[in-house]
Amino acid sequence: MAAPIGTAMDSLSAALKSKIIPNQEYFLQGSILDSAVEVLLHRLRGLCDNVDTGPETFHDHEMCFSIRRGPPPELPLFLRVRRALDYPDMPWQLRYIGQPELGDKSQPTVVRSSLDIATSNTVVEFLTELGCRLDFEYIIRGYMFRKGRMKVTVSKIFKMNQGKLPDGMEPMSQSYLVELSVLAPSGQNAIAEDIRIFAEQLKPLVQLEKINYIR
Amino acid sequence: MQREEKQLDSALEAIIMRVNDLKSTIAAMIFKVEHEYETLNWPNFLDNFALISGHLTSLSKILSHDKAPNLRNLTVLPLHLSPEKDEELLRMTEGRISTFAHDLVPDYLRTKPDPLVEQKMLTYETKVASLTYDASHKQVAQYNKVINHVWDIANKAREEWESETSSRATQAQTSNSADTHLLVYAVGNGKGLKSDTVQMVQGVGNSIGSNMMVGRAGGQSQTSSQGPLAGQMTKAPSTIKTNIKAASQIHPYTR
Repeated sequence: MAAPIGTAMDSLSAALKSKIIPNQEYFLQGSILDSAVEVLLHRLRGLCDNVDTGPETFHDHEMCFSIRRGPPPELPLFLRVRRALDYPDMPWQLRYIGQPELGDKSQPTVVRSSLDIATSNTVVEFLTELGCRLDFEYIIRGYMFRKGRMKVTVSKIFKMNQGKLPDGMEPMSQSYLVELSVLAPSGQNAIAEDIRIFAEQLKPLVQLEKINYIR
Repeated sequence: MQREEKQLDSALEAIIMRVNDLKSTIAAMIFKVEHEYETLNWPNFLDNFALISGHLTSLSKILSHDKAPNLRNLTVLPLHLSPEKDEELLRMTEGRISTFAHDLVPDYLRTKPDPLVEQKMLTYETKVASLTYDASHKQVAQYNKVINHVWDIANKAREEWESETSSRATQAQTSNSADTHLLVYAVGNGKGLKSDTVQMVQGVGNSIGSNMMVGRAGGQSQTSSQGPLAGQMTKAPSTIKTNIKAASQIHPYTR
């Protein structure tokens, strides 16, 4: 009880050092046409764990903020805020995502560092006060499946129509975004192989690939 | 003479080995049927059949081999019959025969089929002999007809199945790589979502004021959040524009 102040930082760095914090996201991305999404959902229902309860649905609003760390050549820091539109009482989520590393051909998935925490609904104000700028935002709605530690999302991306939420949303395209990801502590590269094998099972319905979206 | 004997010995050894193989697979099959009948499935059962038929083929191959001795020309001559229990015989036959006695030997050394089988064969043979040529011809034709019919059905089913699989192979594309890139760039980088950023910032700023800051002194927070926001707005547009330009120059996703 009477532990000296400052141990929180110590224990955090100790946890980081011993690699127990799942701060690496291994993932692959792809898309499926609206016309075929039912087939994909059906297949995922068969392949994934939460069979009896059916897929979980989600309906989120994501805002991406950025803050400059230095003059232009240096990339800004990106922070994402996400809130569930279908569960307004849920905590909001603040997430840091690092630069994606594609690696060479032997590496089956993209890796990026990822940290997220639950926050109150005043996080947007907090970030704005810090000097973060809203870069872009979108509505994401779809289904989530689980397979062991893997998470599979099939979601539709909508553009925000200025100010008014969430009616009159305009879909980005005639496809659903498909993402297959795992959060794991750094150094657990075996999980990437699991992801690759699972992605194979979804072919030729969906081509899940390593895509570098930054350059 | 000695050479022939040697040949006979080796041939018999090979035949005995095959027969033992056959015996053990049959025993395994019987064991399965008796003990695992609850979990036994068809593929497994058919595998067993395949094993047995494989052993049978190899056995018949050995028997029909040029160098195989013609066993039909050889005789087994029982030299000594005894009603006493013979331990050695019991061991060799795995406990099946205990004595080499008069009542058993004729059965075991018999070269003709069982009397019952023999009788059946005889009745069939007389039946065949009594049939007229026309009648048998008719029956053969009828049998062929039935077989052909079944053959047709099987072929039709195969054709249907094949056309189905081929149509599945040529099924329409279910994903579009242009769409994939569009969505991934949008979510990861905001491409295509940033176009009216300035308006959006304002919109969200307002909505923060009205929707999200429930339970705070409205006027006060409004001014405090609007201040730095407005200050940034003067700077913001230039960086956004360069961002978009740079992005579209380097990676148009419709490459």
